[in-house]
Amino acid sequence: MKALFYKEWIKTRWFFLAAALVSLTLCEYCLLNISRITELKGAVHVWEVMLTRDAIFIQLIRFVPFLIGILASLVQFVPEMQQKRIKLTLHLPYSQNKSIGTMLLFGILLLTIIFFLNFLFLIVYLNQVFALELVSRIILTAFVWYLAGFLSYLLTTWICLEPTWKRRMINLLIAVALLRVFFLSETPEVYNTFLPFMVLYTVIVSILPLWSVQRFKDGTQD
Amino acid sequence: MIRFSKIVFTITVTLLIIWILPWCYQFLTTTKTDTPFTLYSGVINDFAFIEHADKGLTYKDVKNQVYSEHEFDSILPLFFYRQLLSEERLPNRLFGVDLTPRLIQTENFNFRIDPNAVNTPSIGLYPLLESMSGRVDLEMPDDVFRLSERMEFIDIETNAINEFKTNVFTQMLQKKGFKFPAKSIAGNPTDRKEYDEGYLILDAEHNLFHVKQVKRRPYVRKIEIPKQVLVQHMFLTEFKNRKFLAFVSDSQQRFWVLETQTYTFKQVDIPSFDPACMSMSIIGNMFDWTIIVNDGKTKRYFAIDASNYHCIKSLTYEEPELTPMQKFGLYLFPIQLYFTEPTSPLIFPRWTLSWF
Repeated sequence: MKALFYKEWIKTRWFFLAAALVSLTLCEYCLLNISRITELKGAVHVWEVMLTRDAIFIQLIRFVPFLIGILASLVQFVPEMQQKRIKLTLHLPYSQNKSIGTMLLFGILLLTIIFFLNFLFLIVYLNQVFALELVSRIILTAFVWYLAGFLSYLLTTWICLEPTWKRRMINLLIAVALLRVFFLSETPEVYNTFLPFMVLYTVIVSILPLWSVQRFKDGTQD
Repeated sequence: MIRFSKIVFTITVTLLIIWILPWCYQFLTTTKTDTPFTLYSGVINDFAFIEHADKGLTYKDVKNQVYSEHEFDSILPLFFYRQLLSEERLPNRLFGVDLTPRLIQTENFNFRIDPNAVNTPSIGLYPLLESMSGRVDLEMPDDVFRLSERMEFIDIETNAINEFKTNVFTQMLQKKGFKFPAKSIAGNPTDRKEYDEGYLILDAEHNLFHVKQVKRRPYVRKIEIPKQVLVQHMFLTEFKNRKFLAFVSDSQQRFWVLETQTYTFKQVDIPSFDPACMSMSIIGNMFDWTIIVNDGKTKRYFAIDASNYHCIKSLTYEEPELTPMQKFGLYLFPIQLYFTEPTSPLIFPRWTLSWF
């Protein structure tokens, strides 16, 4: 497991740094924007806009976790499939599910660290300038986008590990439809009731890549 | 593990099919449903409407009498008063009342209740404007309040609790018999209005209070609710004429007017109205109101006497019958899944079973 983690780290470290840097920079940009509006128009205006016009000031990062999820999966699994390196992994004296599970766990941990840093950065700043209700509104709204980041990672992995192109296309359509559910509305907090079920579903979906690997191992071809 | 993957895949595909296919079918088979702009005319004592026809607009009443645009302005003098005024046709007197443009402007109002707004998650922070600042224009305050176990004011600049103001307002509320925490609150937190009436707040024991800020001091007034009325939704009006403090709906889906001067509840003579799933528009003048209630299937119009809130006339526009294609769609997709609906902004899976 340690060796697999090290292998994945070697493969993804530059992406990890770039993704963390880009996402944190965009968060910083959003927060600077709040500071700039506060300086120009006053804090009362910022609060008023949030209270009356559904503004949350971090709309810019709406699709960032989603893109990071896709890229993380591509960086991690495309080389495995292109150079058929996955074959070596599957021939290791280690359970197939455990090997793929470890790789997925690594990716999830990587995303968790990036997303956690984003949230930490946002919460620390927002807590200073906004009341708890406004901070939780922003964070709960953004949580859906970050959850979409995990789901896009898992679904892209599912597509990448699939051995046949025909099935890949079907999986791609399913992935697009599933991810669409996470972006149906821009209104803050409208997913609150649905959120626990979305988290549960995202956890369950982590099992789908194992099926793709089984099909790969079974030698399924177009 | 692989079997479980297959089960997850099958369930996912099934759910996506019963979501996307009916949506696509509905998108392709939806027809435009247009109800004409309808208003009650006290002059003809009936509803009059403007229809979109091939040759432009046609002006009619329910007896199918056709009017010219010129005549139509005359039968709705309080709605088209600016047009009549520009043509010097505004009557000096109507139903025994001397008309002036200023009086008409003060008495006319438009009001809308949207279930989307009712179902939108509330933030729980409310600005309390100064309602007697001595200035003509209202100003947004530099603090907001939350209702927890007290009425807690937060200074916006410092994001810290203003303990002094919190204590002053909390003590006044408690002195007037308010029991924390509050069940619901209604107000119009904006400075783009003529005057401010603060908020109506339902306390933990379902008692209703009117709370506002007058010269930086709390104004709290307990409002007597009629027996067997359990207030559910409140809508502060703040109309120019200052006659009505709010519209209120109760647990039995009755609709009430809360009058400003006397704080008395007067029931409006309309059938059940549930703000959580029906929309309502009121176009009112000093003599009558046209209330439009839309439940998504039917659009009901009520002409209400403005002096006693009794129903004078009513009119119903039924939803047009489903087209054969739409009916076929119900059989084709007996189970439909959808995440959004017109009456609520909340994203959540909802089902319709059309065969049952």
